[in-house]
Amino acid sequence: MSANPQATSPLAPLAAAQAGLPGGAAWGAWRADALERLMAVGLPTPRDDAWKYTNLRLLARRDLLPAAPRPLATGALDDLPAIAGPRLVFVDGRFHAALSAAELPDGCTFRSFAARFAAEAPAALGASLAGDARLADERLRTLNASLAADGPSLELAPGARPAEPIHLVHVATGGGAYPRTRVELGAGATLELVESHLSAGGAEAFVAAAGDFRLGRDATLTHSSLQLAGARTILLDDAAVTVAAGARYEHRLVALGGQLTRLDLRIALEGPGARAVLAGVFFPDGTREQHLRTLIEHHARETSSDQRYRGVASGRGRGSYDGKVVVHPGAFKTDSRQSSRNLLIGREAAIESRPQLEINADDVKCSHGATTGTLDEQMMFYLLARGLDRDTARALLTYAFVGDVLRRLSPEPLRRAAEARVLGRLPAAELLREFVP
Amino acid sequence: MSDINKGDSILEIRGLAVEVQGKRILEGLDLTVRAGEVHAIMGPNGAGKSTLSQVLAGRPDYDVKAGTVRYLGEDLLALAAEERARRGLFLGFQYPVEIPGVNNVYLLKAALNARRRQLGQPEVDAFEFLGLVRDKMRLMQMDESFLSRGVNEGFSGGEKKRNEILQMTVLEPILAILDETDSGLDIDALKVVAHGVNSLKRDDRAIVLVTHYQRLLDHIVPDHVHVLAGGRILKSGDASLALELERRGYDWVRAEAAAA
Repeated sequence: MSANPQATSPLAPLAAAQAGLPGGAAWGAWRADALERLMAVGLPTPRDDAWKYTNLRLLARRDLLPAAPRPLATGALDDLPAIAGPRLVFVDGRFHAALSAAELPDGCTFRSFAARFAAEAPAALGASLAGDARLADERLRTLNASLAADGPSLELAPGARPAEPIHLVHVATGGGAYPRTRVELGAGATLELVESHLSAGGAEAFVAAAGDFRLGRDATLTHSSLQLAGARTILLDDAAVTVAAGARYEHRLVALGGQLTRLDLRIALEGPGARAVLAGVFFPDGTREQHLRTLIEHHARETSSDQRYRGVASGRGRGSYDGKVVVHPGAFKTDSRQSSRNLLIGREAAIESRPQLEINADDVKCSHGATTGTLDEQMMFYLLARGLDRDTARALLTYAFVGDVLRRLSPEPLRRAAEARVLGRLPAAELLREFVP
Repeated sequence: MSDINKGDSILEIRGLAVEVQGKRILEGLDLTVRAGEVHAIMGPNGAGKSTLSQVLAGRPDYDVKAGTVRYLGEDLLALAAEERARRGLFLGFQYPVEIPGVNNVYLLKAALNARRRQLGQPEVDAFEFLGLVRDKMRLMQMDESFLSRGVNEGFSGGEKKRNEILQMTVLEPILAILDETDSGLDIDALKVVAHGVNSLKRDDRAIVLVTHYQRLLDHIVPDHVHVLAGGRILKSGDASLALELERRGYDWVRAEAAAA
């Protein structure tokens, strides 16, 4: 473990910012304790294996202090896909009722974390809230806990199946933002959840989001993360997911923005037959960095996990997929697949891919594969030999590379928005649009 | 289609020498192909047949060390692969590449429109194109599901070859080079492919069949047969030469050339 608190730690000024946070003295003490534990170990460094691919120099120089709320310009949400259904908007981590359309379906309860902090004691919200700062991969969760003022807390009653997706929208306008999310699905409940991250106003922003997602027995959660943050936003998103017996957790990552973005997905398959199906694309271009870290723990028999990630880096873009699957003793008949394929366009682009597998049980079926390379020369030649020009051929192959993951996105407006944005990054977009059904 | 008349020179290869990964594969190859003709280039494995096909289509990693290739009077070797295709040169690949996610029919439409732009013709719209391609698919006995699949994705060997010929019939090339189009085909598929090729025989077009076996030539009768071995054309003749090769193999041609 690396303990490297520095005198100039960007964490030092944060204690003062805790004063205005919601909740009574008990929460004040709880937050002070979280920040203290974090300061004892410091922010992650590249020496922490969990952070080795992330450019932490950017983090060290960033102002982490929450900024005073500022008004949102009109049109700030225009970039969002038009997803039907309830929309809950959080600006710099705080609920924004006027922008939200919170007509929630039967069986679904929404509370803001600001209200929960005010009404409930720290112990009632559970130990996972603070994370364990001693573990490098939970440190940002502790940072979030130290400063979270608000965020969505959703509960679905057993058997509830809202017809429409729920859209959680996070907008960063500058300074630090620490949204906290919790989504709990009762037994047999089914929910489609979209989380979008945007920036507004172009100021430097730092977002450390943390979420807990709990799926009861036989529940199904389809969870999409759409990262459209602006070019001066650092977005670190940490999601901890528990999946009970027979339940199915699906996650889709669409990383198309940010200066530096990172998603940590830690998934515990706790009951027999629990499933996790993960897929995503990341598209670092320019000087962007986009990272993804997954940890899937198979704790029970007949659990399955399937990961399919595609990265495309161009310019001086950097990305990583760092995925680990752990099969614990007793998790026999585990079925796990990991596929990470990455495409580099240009000599200065880079993607690291590290699929890892740790098996402590017998009778399991696990596979993993990772490739990183340039466009297939034979495919290029085939398209050129049919008269396509080079830019079109390259764009077509690039699009095809991520197409199979894009096609899996839902709901429809999210898929279309993601496709349009990927196409918009490629030359010959007009011609390519024809290829997209 | 064009102002090309039967007997006009389409392809003239003189003294072509090609290296692949530092290894000399073609060495002083000469060949003339005229409009209205069907040529068969035969030869043993490793003779350089596929190298010749690929180098004519413009494969970038094949190194031309010497010689000239004129196509319709132009310096073919100075043109990029995509420019050759737009000028009406078509290569039917021996191993068509699978490109998952790139829709088969849209590739074909893009290819056709690239050709039409070159010819100064208006691009076809989706409706017109579908009508055209459906006709050609019937000819190739391909069902409509091929339209919506990825390029060659999950196609059997025979389906891939049919798809190549389908592309050829839609693109209506001036010079079609078919590299081992018969390999891996059962007799029924071979007949369908041959029928597709025969439907394209015209006075203003030339077809070059590159093949190891004579059996394709039972269905597509060539005007000229060439034996390619050791990187050169060792012998040329009419259709009867193919039958003789089938009977006697290639060694006698090599011996004859060595003695000359």
